[in-house]
Amino acid sequence: MTALLVKAMADLRRRKLQAAVIFITTLLAAGTGTMTLSLLAQTRDPWQAAFDAQRGAHLRVNFDSRTAVAALAGTASHLGATAFSGPYSATAVQFQSGANKYNVTAIGRDNPGGDVSQLRITGGRWPKGSGEIALTRSFADLNHISIGERLKVLSVPDQPVLTLTGEVVDINALRADVGGVQNAWVPSSAVAALTGRGTSLYLMDYRFAGNPTSAQLQAHLHALRGALPPGGVTSTVDYIFARTVFHISTLILTGVLVAFSVFALLATAAIVANLVTGIVISGYREIGIMKAVGFTPLQVVGVFVLQVAIPAAAACVVGIPAGTVLSQPLLASNSQALGLAYEPSFSPTLDLLALAGALGIVIIAALIPAFRAGLLKPAVVIANATAPRGQSGRWLRRLADRARLPRPAVLGLGEAAARPARGVLTLLAIFLGVATVVVALGETRSFNEIYTYEAHSGSVDVVVMRSPALSDADTARLISSQPETARVVAETNANISVPGIADPVATLGFRGDSAALGYYVVGGRWFNGPGEVVAPRSLVQDAHLKIGDSFKGAVQGTPVTLRVVGEVYDFTGGPGGHLLMIDSSTIAAAAPDLAPSTYRVTLKPRSNVNAYVRRLAAAQPDLLDVQANGTGNTSFLTVIGGVLFAIAAIIALIAAAGVFNTLLLNTRERLRDTATLKALGMSPRQVVGMVASSAGFLALMGGIVAVPAGVVLYRLLFDQLSLLGGSPTPAPFYDVFAPWELVAIPLGGVMVAVAAAVIPGRWAARTNVVEVLHAE
Amino acid sequence: MNTELVRLTDVTKVYQGGITGALNGVSVTVEEGEFTAIMGPSGSGKSTMLNLVAGLDRPTSGSVFVRGTDLAKEGEAGLATFRRDHIGFVFQFFNLLPNLTALENVLLPAQLKGNTAKVRAGELLDRLGIAEVADRYPARLSGGQQQRVAMARALVNKPTLLLADEPTGALDTQSGEHVMDLVAQLHREGQTVLLVTHDAKLATRHAERVISVIDGRIVDDARLESPERAPSEVIRVRGEEAAR
Repeated sequence: MTALLVKAMADLRRRKLQAAVIFITTLLAAGTGTMTLSLLAQTRDPWQAAFDAQRGAHLRVNFDSRTAVAALAGTASHLGATAFSGPYSATAVQFQSGANKYNVTAIGRDNPGGDVSQLRITGGRWPKGSGEIALTRSFADLNHISIGERLKVLSVPDQPVLTLTGEVVDINALRADVGGVQNAWVPSSAVAALTGRGTSLYLMDYRFAGNPTSAQLQAHLHALRGALPPGGVTSTVDYIFARTVFHISTLILTGVLVAFSVFALLATAAIVANLVTGIVISGYREIGIMKAVGFTPLQVVGVFVLQVAIPAAAACVVGIPAGTVLSQPLLASNSQALGLAYEPSFSPTLDLLALAGALGIVIIAALIPAFRAGLLKPAVVIANATAPRGQSGRWLRRLADRARLPRPAVLGLGEAAARPARGVLTLLAIFLGVATVVVALGETRSFNEIYTYEAHSGSVDVVVMRSPALSDADTARLISSQPETARVVAETNANISVPGIADPVATLGFRGDSAALGYYVVGGRWFNGPGEVVAPRSLVQDAHLKIGDSFKGAVQGTPVTLRVVGEVYDFTGGPGGHLLMIDSSTIAAAAPDLAPSTYRVTLKPRSNVNAYVRRLAAAQPDLLDVQANGTGNTSFLTVIGGVLFAIAAIIALIAAAGVFNTLLLNTRERLRDTATLKALGMSPRQVVGMVASSAGFLALMGGIVAVPAGVVLYRLLFDQLSLLGGSPTPAPFYDVFAPWELVAIPLGGVMVAVAAAVIPGRWAARTNVVEVLHAE
Repeated sequence: MNTELVRLTDVTKVYQGGITGALNGVSVTVEEGEFTAIMGPSGSGKSTMLNLVAGLDRPTSGSVFVRGTDLAKEGEAGLATFRRDHIGFVFQFFNLLPNLTALENVLLPAQLKGNTAKVRAGELLDRLGIAEVADRYPARLSGGQQQRVAMARALVNKPTLLLADEPTGALDTQSGEHVMDLVAQLHREGQTVLLVTHDAKLATRHAERVISVIDGRIVDDARLESPERAPSEVIRVRGEEAAR
């Protein structure tokens, strides 16, 4: 063993550059892999821990305010729940903080404890008086609302002012940064004063034995609905949905990160295999001598594996902690949203797994060429030369000749294919690097496209939300009276029960030219009038419907007959994609008290949006929230884009290291040939050109294959993410690359490869002809 | 009247870490059309002289002029162009590029200049008797064939000066003689040749001038066709110097 170690260490000292290549590539791959493992392993942990600690509700149900309180008390037994809390009286409230207006559901609750759905106070105290309120921590953080701030309620005529006394974590609430109306808490006696017409509801939380499945929860709900009058249950949220929404960014990231980590490890394996093969080839004579002095074949294998394992292990020692540290901010944001203290988490098991994985792959990659070295016969290898001989690469030289390329370029191209296995492994590394860049670019752009689409950017200029204290008619009149107003589409929010779907389905009722909002109809057509409905494919499938089918639903218990006329692409339904879009007259006929609350306004061309927003807001400063469209929070997309590009850059760097490594091996092996070429009159610039053309060719080939492959992979990954929204992705969201970009990406790869060729190229150009040929 | 082609003036070459010089104050001229052999034992500095003339190496001191060009003033790129234009180099171990065919090897120096030279290459291969192996890779050629390919490669750009460093050193006797006959024939056609060899018989049989080098110094410079020196005398002088 000592001899092995001494020889391996001596070789490492001699091959510092190769050791550095192994170190850097393994470092990057181990770091990426560890980051992914950390995120994967902890995707559920913080939420689940908080859910268990706070005795989170497996099911939260909103009931119509007309339901008898006595009947609500018996709902736990209908559901088979083991514990419950509520009923809590609640109401929709709009309040103003600074210049902004917010909508929340104010829940009357006198303490944060109880058997189910305990609220964790992370700042301040629980509201005690009628002028006090508590908000969720994620909502307060996102909107920069501080404890002690006074919030003016706009949704009731009296416009009471509430003081924010506490920030809490409600484990059943959806993350504020992902979306959804947030909850707020006031003393139960304060709810009545905050309740406007038609805004009240009851809310109850239930826990079941163990962690019920989605199907089990739906069965329980079915039983509950049967026991209540029609329309009694207005909406529900189960813990699986809340958890999925909470982890949505982590889920999106981990899917792509897993793919990227596999890429990074594969690229590293290709580089290591290439490198060890190169060392074996250039060390033929030395291998012969080792065997001649008594090294057994296995010991020879051991020397080569140690040469790789030592720098790889050193890289893991640095890379694994670095990956763990880099994963912490994302995990910390999860913990913070839950109101948990940020405790950096280090899992020795996970780190060992990452170490075993990274080292294992690197060693396996080294073993194959190392075994080749072990099996070589001493007499043969001592006499063997190192540079490749024969016809490999000849076809390529011929092609280049026909293209009348300069001779150094022709020789460089031939060199790229002189060792086919090395060429293929290098191409693999380049392929992975370029494909990753394509995937990262595509995913990020598609996310942005979807964000733009969901925000109706381009078709809507201003979004107006009214307080319940201002009537729909007055709001509509005010908007229409503005000279710049070209089109108004008003939205009514409702819930409609659909046969075969357990929860009432969130419904958007449109008044006005809703087709102009630009929803993508992926099947059938947009609705044309009352009774017609469009929905994402997942709802249509889950309800066992198809385009053209009619079904009987209910709005607030009033039956309605609806006909499915089209399928739309939409993410606003959240994971699962249950959403209906309908003409608002259908809702108004069944539930006259439901009126539009949001107005999407399109202005005439060349109108001043900011002036319009200021003027309209000034007309009803307390009762209207007027915003220019598309100014929402995009931090969620920024984080995803940032992480994707950081990892894509890492893999691209690994690929560049792969090219550098191959050129280094080729240059060293061809030292004698280069010396001869110089003796024949090849200038230093021509030598650099020869090496660079070899690199450029490999990069071009890798890029040409990688771009379409990357596009296909990005589409596959994005399809998986789209399914969370319930519909396949329509073609326009894929159309995120301009044709010139698809050409520029591989050309960019060529430029990186040529840059990576500069050092080996200059090194070759400086070859001392006399020394090399004399040494031969 | 002959024109001076090569001039070495007080040239010294000391390799890094070397205690004694590979060349110590050598001064010599070579005229156009001459066939000069530089003769000496292993390590005497004869190959160093050839490398300096080819611009492959630089002297520690002194100057090297070829065709009136001071090689010390040329950069790496300038020396490459100089070699490409004026020098044909034949090595002891051929130094053919193993992944190029014989023809491709021959064409290489011309292609580096941007020329095609296919006709010239074909003529050379014909003349050297290796046209039938033009498409073969070096690994499939005999030593003699490889050296003839190397000679064709050296001649393809019609060099001013043909440098040959032990061109028969890696060949059997018959192949060696064949190669030397070719060199002599080229010389008769006007080619200036500078041959390095340790073989006195070879040198005196073909060269018209033999420069003997020992320990980095020129110990003898004989013109063999002149009445004052005969080949046997050159061999004797070299033997005496070597024995010191």
